[in-house]
Amino acid sequence: MSNANHPISLISGIVVLSLLAILILGAPFLAPYDPVKQNVTERLEKPSMEHPLGTDRFGRDVLSRTLHGGQTTLISSVVALCAALIIGLLVGLTAGMFHGSIIDIILMRLIDVLLSFPFMVLAMVIAALFGTSLIHLLLAVVAVWWVSFARLTRSVVLHAKNETSFAAARVLGATNGAIIFKELLPKAISPVLILATFELGSLILSIVALSFLGLGSQPPAPEWGSMLADGRDHFMQAPHILIGPALFIFLTVLAFNLIGEGLRDRLDPYEKSEL
Amino acid sequence: MFAARYFGEDTFIMVKKELETMLQITNLQVAYRQGRQSVRVLDNLSLELRQGEILALLGESGSGKSTIAKAVTGLLPPSAHIGGGTLHIGSTLRVDMDMAAGKGRGKGRGKGRGKGKGIQWEGIRGRGIAMLFQDAQQALNPVMKIGAHFRESLLYHRLASPDEVKPISIRLLSQLGFLDGERILECYPFQLSGGMCQRVCLALALCLKPAVLIADEPTSALDTVSQKEVLDLLKITQKELGLAVLLITHDIAVANAVSDRVIVLNKGVIEEEGDTRAVFSKPRAAYTRQLLSSRSQIAKPSRERESSHAGEPLLEIIGLEKTFDGKKRVLHDVNLALNRKEILGILGGSGCGKSTLARCITGLEYPERGHVMYRGADISRLRGKGKRGLCKHIQMVFQDARASLNPGRTAMQLVQEPLQYMHIGNKGERETLARFYLHEVGITGDLLSRRPPQLSTGQCQRIAIARALVLRPEVLICDEAVSALDMSVQAQILALLQRLHKQFGFSILMISHDIRVLRSFCHHIAVMNHGSFSEVKRASALLHESKQSYTQLLLRCAGDMEEGLY
Amino acid sequence: MYRMLLRKLLEAFITLFCATLIIFTLIRLAPGDPVQLLLGHPGEAALSDKQAYDDRAAGLRAKLGLDQSMIKQYTAWIHKLVQLDLGTSIHTGRAVGAEIAARLPATAMLSAAALLIQAVLGLFFGTVSALKAGKPGDNAIRLVCVALASTPAFVIGLVLLSVFAVTLGAYEISSEAGLSRLWLPALTLGLIGAPQLIRMARANMLAEFGRIYVLSALSRGLGRGRVVKHALRNALLPVITMIALSLTSLISGAVVIESIFSWPGIGKYALDSILLKDYPVIQGYALVMVSLVILIHLCVDVVYALIDPRIHRNREAGAEEHV
Repeated sequence: MSNANHPISLISGIVVLSLLAILILGAPFLAPYDPVKQNVTERLEKPSMEHPLGTDRFGRDVLSRTLHGGQTTLISSVVALCAALIIGLLVGLTAGMFHGSIIDIILMRLIDVLLSFPFMVLAMVIAALFGTSLIHLLLAVVAVWWVSFARLTRSVVLHAKNETSFAAARVLGATNGAIIFKELLPKAISPVLILATFELGSLILSIVALSFLGLGSQPPAPEWGSMLADGRDHFMQAPHILIGPALFIFLTVLAFNLIGEGLRDRLDPYEKSEL
Repeated sequence: MFAARYFGEDTFIMVKKELETMLQITNLQVAYRQGRQSVRVLDNLSLELRQGEILALLGESGSGKSTIAKAVTGLLPPSAHIGGGTLHIGSTLRVDMDMAAGKGRGKGRGKGRGKGKGIQWEGIRGRGIAMLFQDAQQALNPVMKIGAHFRESLLYHRLASPDEVKPISIRLLSQLGFLDGERILECYPFQLSGGMCQRVCLALALCLKPAVLIADEPTSALDTVSQKEVLDLLKITQKELGLAVLLITHDIAVANAVSDRVIVLNKGVIEEEGDTRAVFSKPRAAYTRQLLSSRSQIAKPSRERESSHAGEPLLEIIGLEKTFDGKKRVLHDVNLALNRKEILGILGGSGCGKSTLARCITGLEYPERGHVMYRGADISRLRGKGKRGLCKHIQMVFQDARASLNPGRTAMQLVQEPLQYMHIGNKGERETLARFYLHEVGITGDLLSRRPPQLSTGQCQRIAIARALVLRPEVLICDEAVSALDMSVQAQILALLQRLHKQFGFSILMISHDIRVLRSFCHHIAVMNHGSFSEVKRASALLHESKQSYTQLLLRCAGDMEEGLY
Repeated sequence: MYRMLLRKLLEAFITLFCATLIIFTLIRLAPGDPVQLLLGHPGEAALSDKQAYDDRAAGLRAKLGLDQSMIKQYTAWIHKLVQLDLGTSIHTGRAVGAEIAARLPATAMLSAAALLIQAVLGLFFGTVSALKAGKPGDNAIRLVCVALASTPAFVIGLVLLSVFAVTLGAYEISSEAGLSRLWLPALTLGLIGAPQLIRMARANMLAEFGRIYVLSALSRGLGRGRVVKHALRNALLPVITMIALSLTSLISGAVVIESIFSWPGIGKYALDSILLKDYPVIQGYALVMVSLVILIHLCVDVVYALIDPRIHRNREAGAEEHV
């Protein structure tokens, strides 16, 4: 689909993401209707000229709600992922830098414990105990998601420590800080960013899945997950309520995945071999 | 025509019949795609390999010598493009190399390994042309036992019935010096040493009874002793079987030791071709002369040089011990003294612990027992600030110069790095210092603002040396600092180090597996074997005075290969 | 060998211990008084019953051990756990352990079937994609993979359900677990997991194709198919490990699918309990899931160690690095 000379997937991913960003961030100006205004006379209407994606059970315009709802979903997942990424980077750098020390052993054990908590299970437990809301969901995300970044960073750091440049920096008298920021961080950053684009996609899918089960943000806030939860009850009579948010979710995740694929092809360390 | 030159006109007819051409390459053209450009590596290259001879293809890195081997076996990477050429194997098989070359070009991207999709490579490889690779351990499938490799090759080519496989493989292995072939067949590749793997690979290649054997740097990854062993076996089996061998190498000594004929290759063009003895004793091409002179510069026995004064040693290593994973003993009771302004060589094969010793001295590893005394103080267990302060006194140059430099920085920035870490001088002073040392190592002008990817390996090593010297250390450790370089660059770097040593008066600890380098460069040589020193001798006297059998063996191996080269 | 097994076992127990601590802490951290939850809010009780309510509350508190120190509560809980007592459901009053045990086979069946489907899809298309690298076949597979990996699980589920159940009428919707009803949820779950495996199998194969032993096998005149086998043997071990590990995400990720297809597994049971705020069930569910995951990790570790580890030692570091 793409190689370094033809970054089709990278370009198409960026184009799709930019279009989505314009639509979603420009929702206050672009959306045809007020996302929360109810109109009882137009309940569960099929897509038409006035309502391109139809209306929901309170007669609200699905397109407007989808555009507005994207803001909450996108911003909250990006923020949660950034938090997880920073924690993961720090933990991974520390564990890798002090490989074999007591800090490393404790951190790795913690990672093992968290790995034994599947994200879905933890999110369900938290939703059950602390109540269903988007904030709780995002806390669960941060608590679990940093692990993959930490593991990747640590393995990159351990590889880098075997390289000549690491020994050279040591012999030249570089401090631990200088080694981490000048030698290790630059090596870890690109694989971690590639992982992050993929993880952002699967994060959105997970949030959406939990919302669909009724464990995410609650109606009436216009948010993709809650819209899905809302539309699920009326799936048989009015499947179009689901189509709007589902389509946007698909396109968003697709854009992130395409960018991830493109970046990975670009930064692939070894030449693609054929047989 | 060649035969006539060797044997005189009268024997011509008879010899011609005997020396049938086994492999003939005509007008081979290969280019590599790099981004949008295409870089031509081989330009209308033609050569001829005759039955029963070893033809050495001698060239430095980038000469295109490995490309030839890959092209004639169809193993070129997808980025390579064959422009044209013909291949004759034996007397019957003719292959047009550009058969399918036009197919991929229309789309602007490579299709499949080595082009020539229309060529039936399966029929050529193995039975026609067999191949040996540089890293033999990597050339065997890590999850297959050695026996499985033999069984697969023999059965696939229908050269044996299932019951015959084992006796055939054991016989071949015993021909290649394995007395316990049965045990070897049950081994996985990782259980064998590099030299053993290369012998296994040779046996694997021979079991198919190939017409031609191409050996691509078969001994470059091995230490001197195994190198000699493999080359001897190659020579013996070649003579026994009357095999035609194309030996690709960068090492004049290797070519000298085994080849009958030699072709000197430079940037894809043949500079000189002829009988090995003749080429090396009376080189005609300027390039060959240059190669030989850099080699003799490196290999000439050292003039009588004494370190200036004895007295208290600058660096003293006492009873050093180091183990890995609590089991593997790497260093065992190592004792060594380095005097002021002395150049001390440490000689040893791969895995003898010489690099670990360097890492212990520079504080990259902590030894279990023993001391590293620098000016009378133990430095082996320093931590934190104390250890960092050490870098003003002891510096190191690594084997892989390019990997030791941060690729994102310019030469100027790289040399200033240690000054910044040590908080020496202000910005202006650092720049002046960096410029001075870079000038001393011959990096000037616009090279100062270039980054490692835009520099040659030799230039990278020069920058690494400047970076090590900018803190004015008393001790410079060179860990195989020239081993990865081409012969001509090696000579230049060694000359540079010698000049800097005279100028700045630091001591050098030169670690190498190459006795030639050490003999010409060092005052004393310490021979390391299995984690400890077997002896320390004056460089000039090593040959005559050494009592140790290991040292003798090393010297003999190196000497044999160089016979007649001076 | 035995020492290694013992070490792995010990590590698994430490992990399990830490996990019980986390679950216990989470439950104690949760807002709301469990006693109030059981008895109802005191404000709702009539004023004259205030004394009676307080008595009953105190009694219940003592019975649940809530008046004791945290450490005692924890040890009491562990003590019960060791006897396989996961407590009783607030809502139904039945033993949680028995309820989960009754539903585990349905989830296990679904996960196993999905595992099989995604393993077959992953290995087959991953290998084909690597062999056709850069050609239309490879591009098509990669495109489908990216699209599939970008589609929410419930969309795949709902689309398949409406196609097979509503349009074609080939699938009967009911809440019974049976082999005849297994294939559609299993297919859905398998399709969700397949893209990741395809991608990994492809990347591993391509990495192997670049190795010298592949060139060497080619240079011995072996045919293409034979050489692919060489590469496969090296590329597959990490992929198979990955498949085994994906069992954990299948078991936990089955919630959505179980919910859509009304599959009576433990995921659906837990989900229903969350909406009813049935704490003991959630606690038991989390504990069972975590133990299962630890068990799977342990098994993979042990099997990996049984295959001669030295052969793959050099490769592990590389496999870990694959994104």
